[in-house]
Amino acid sequence: MTDDPSTLPPRWAESLLRMMLRPADRESISGDLLEEYRQSIVPALGARADRWYVRQVGWYVLRATWPWAALAGGILVGRYLLDTLAPVQYTRGIRHPRSTIMSWALIATYALGGCWQAWRTARLSGGIVGAFVTTALGGALSSLGTVLCLAVWHDPQMWRAIQGSGGIEEALYGVPLMLVPVGVLVGTVGATFGRTAAAIYDVSKPNTKSA
Amino acid sequence: MADVLGAFEQAVLLAIVRLGDDAYGRAILKEAQARLDRDVAAGAVHATLDRLEHKRLIVSRLGSGTPVRAGRARRYYRPLPAGIRALNDARAAVDHIWRGLKWPLVKARSFA
Repeated sequence: MTDDPSTLPPRWAESLLRMMLRPADRESISGDLLEEYRQSIVPALGARADRWYVRQVGWYVLRATWPWAALAGGILVGRYLLDTLAPVQYTRGIRHPRSTIMSWALIATYALGGCWQAWRTARLSGGIVGAFVTTALGGALSSLGTVLCLAVWHDPQMWRAIQGSGGIEEALYGVPLMLVPVGVLVGTVGATFGRTAAAIYDVSKPNTKSA
Repeated sequence: MADVLGAFEQAVLLAIVRLGDDAYGRAILKEAQARLDRDVAAGAVHATLDRLEHKRLIVSRLGSGTPVRAGRARRYYRPLPAGIRALNDARAAVDHIWRGLKWPLVKARSFA
């Protein structure tokens, strides 16, 4: 057991944790993790204790962002499926309604994800980090979904359809990577609204009700 | 009929009952890990506590911090009557399902 105040988890991980927690939970949850880290994990795991701490923080980050990431990933996979199974003719310079709908659905997802995260954490940084994780995780989920779809449908006709709608590289990493800065930018705009609303309605007060 | 509790919710709620006045986040985590005999993510316990509080089965209050927590407050939990009812219902449901069977079960008959 170590009560040594110099025994600290990675500073960046602790900042990330506090950034992603609601004001009501910020002290108690980060305190619980610090206490467990110092009293149980460092004595048991030594140098690997930091990895344990980072894993725990990852759990909170994922929990806060997964619904938005799943929605973003679902929109992308849905689009690829539609383009592959029910292809339409895209003409350069003319936006097809399918592209417009998908683009706005993604923008709404990133903006609402950033807004919601900034609202619940009462922090702009929480919303921006949330938007980044949502975009990156959503992209990873869309890549995974694409691979799963390919595992199910991979006949020559399907390959021709995929090549005709942008190619496999675009679906696997082109679009997910391209969307990261877009998602962060749109999420930041959403986070600004969320943070403003949190300030107006004062959600930053910790929950101190007595039992 | 009170809320239907999942197995993990029961473990967390029972940990609160067992710990009494010392039921705060980390203590509940340790108790749940010991009773379930497996590693449990702190986030899973905190998410469950949040859900149980949202269902009004438990209530919480902030306590004082300690040096090992860098002075950060502990959040203490205690069960509400609805939480105790939910635990009793969960136990009664399991007892009812098992009634008439000897435990542990022996090998099931085959369809030979």
